[in-house]
Amino acid sequence: MEPVSFLRRFGLMVGLVLLQVLILNRISLFGYATPMFYIWFIVRFESSMTRNAMLIWGFFIGIVIDMFTGTPGLNAACSTILALLQPKIVTLFLSKDRRDIVVPSRDTMGGGPLAGYLFLTTLVHHTFYFIFRSIPLGDWTVLMAKIVFSTLLTFLIMLAVGMSADRSDKRRSL
Amino acid sequence: MRSLLDFIVKYSYVFLFILLESVSLALLFGSNERQRMAFMTSAGRFSGSILEWRSDVKSYFGLRKENEKLAYENAMLRSRLNTVLDNIEVESLFSRIEGDYAVARVIDNSVRKDDNYITINKGRADGIERGMGVFDSRGVIGVVMLPGKKYSIVLPVLNGRSSISCKISGSNSFGFLEWYGGNPYMAYIVDMPFHTDINPGDTVVTSGFSSAFPENIPVGIVESVEEEQLNYMLRLTVSLFADMSDIRWVYVNTHGQDPEPEELKEELQ
Repeated sequence: MEPVSFLRRFGLMVGLVLLQVLILNRISLFGYATPMFYIWFIVRFESSMTRNAMLIWGFFIGIVIDMFTGTPGLNAACSTILALLQPKIVTLFLSKDRRDIVVPSRDTMGGGPLAGYLFLTTLVHHTFYFIFRSIPLGDWTVLMAKIVFSTLLTFLIMLAVGMSADRSDKRRSL
Repeated sequence: MRSLLDFIVKYSYVFLFILLESVSLALLFGSNERQRMAFMTSAGRFSGSILEWRSDVKSYFGLRKENEKLAYENAMLRSRLNTVLDNIEVESLFSRIEGDYAVARVIDNSVRKDDNYITINKGRADGIERGMGVFDSRGVIGVVMLPGKKYSIVLPVLNGRSSISCKISGSNSFGFLEWYGGNPYMAYIVDMPFHTDINPGDTVVTSGFSSAFPENIPVGIVESVEEEQLNYMLRLTVSLFADMSDIRWVYVNTHGQDPEPEELKEELQ
């Protein structure tokens, strides 16, 4: 698979940002859970990308989301951390002989490992997100509830998309 | 030397990470409220048009409801006009129609956060200034906090930092409308004198003591009255008239913006 072109990646970013700020940010299940599906952008980084490119793209999508939500630095901080950890998390869910993976997906990883990978990336991002957002830390139970519910919600959406996105993966690289 | 260069090149991403993360955290924790607001308005130039587009699309779907609201407001105004015509006192008639309101559309709004903000599509270019009161056909919404050139940020009742001077309709005892998070339909009035005779069902209106709002803009209905023994004050739970989760068009009170009283107050503090 050839590497994803700059334009295609930029297009995906614009699409995910619009989806996030126009629709998903309006959702607030039980007052706790807001899906943050935009991290799909980082989740799908292919292993052929340089670490620097991952960090810059990760930071970039975060700061653009921040511009819409009026939270300077919040999403940027979390998505940069996720962009740093993403390659490490991928390798946790791959057997040793499959280190040549291009894009994490069901075809390349298998359904079980993909689910584990999606869950861990979401948990990492949302944990940092809600801790940063709640500083100074006040009520731990509310904080935990927000992390758990939002992680579950984002995870379920990503799992649904990840499991169904595969057929088109054979034709497209994203 | 060579190996040092290799090391730096190999781990350049670590330095990049530290740089980007420092920038993010500096933005997140280093910025005070004013800088944060400046970020929001400067970002507003970029995001405002997209948010406005969303609000455009949404307003098509809300036309029916909006019509109902207008019809309701019309009916109310008509009945008020009748009362005015009934006891036609020229002076009071003029004091009623005096007033200057800018109409603005809400392009971004939240009710579920601890500190909510509203963005409206009017700014300094339309004569909007800091401290102007914002309300809709149902009741008080908030106060303009940061006017940008084309968009402004409004500090709504549903924000911990909002405090609006209110009174009970028909009496002169007043207090401050505040909100502590949670239910977006309920707010509280604090610092109401102990001896005041207030009952659930009484109507709360603006006091007119601040220049933000004229007198008698509806706020809500008293749900319950609590006595705070500690400081001999009453605390009222108020059910708000304005449905903050459903506001599209608002009026901004551009009349009588005399900054002097507010400036004097700030000097005193």
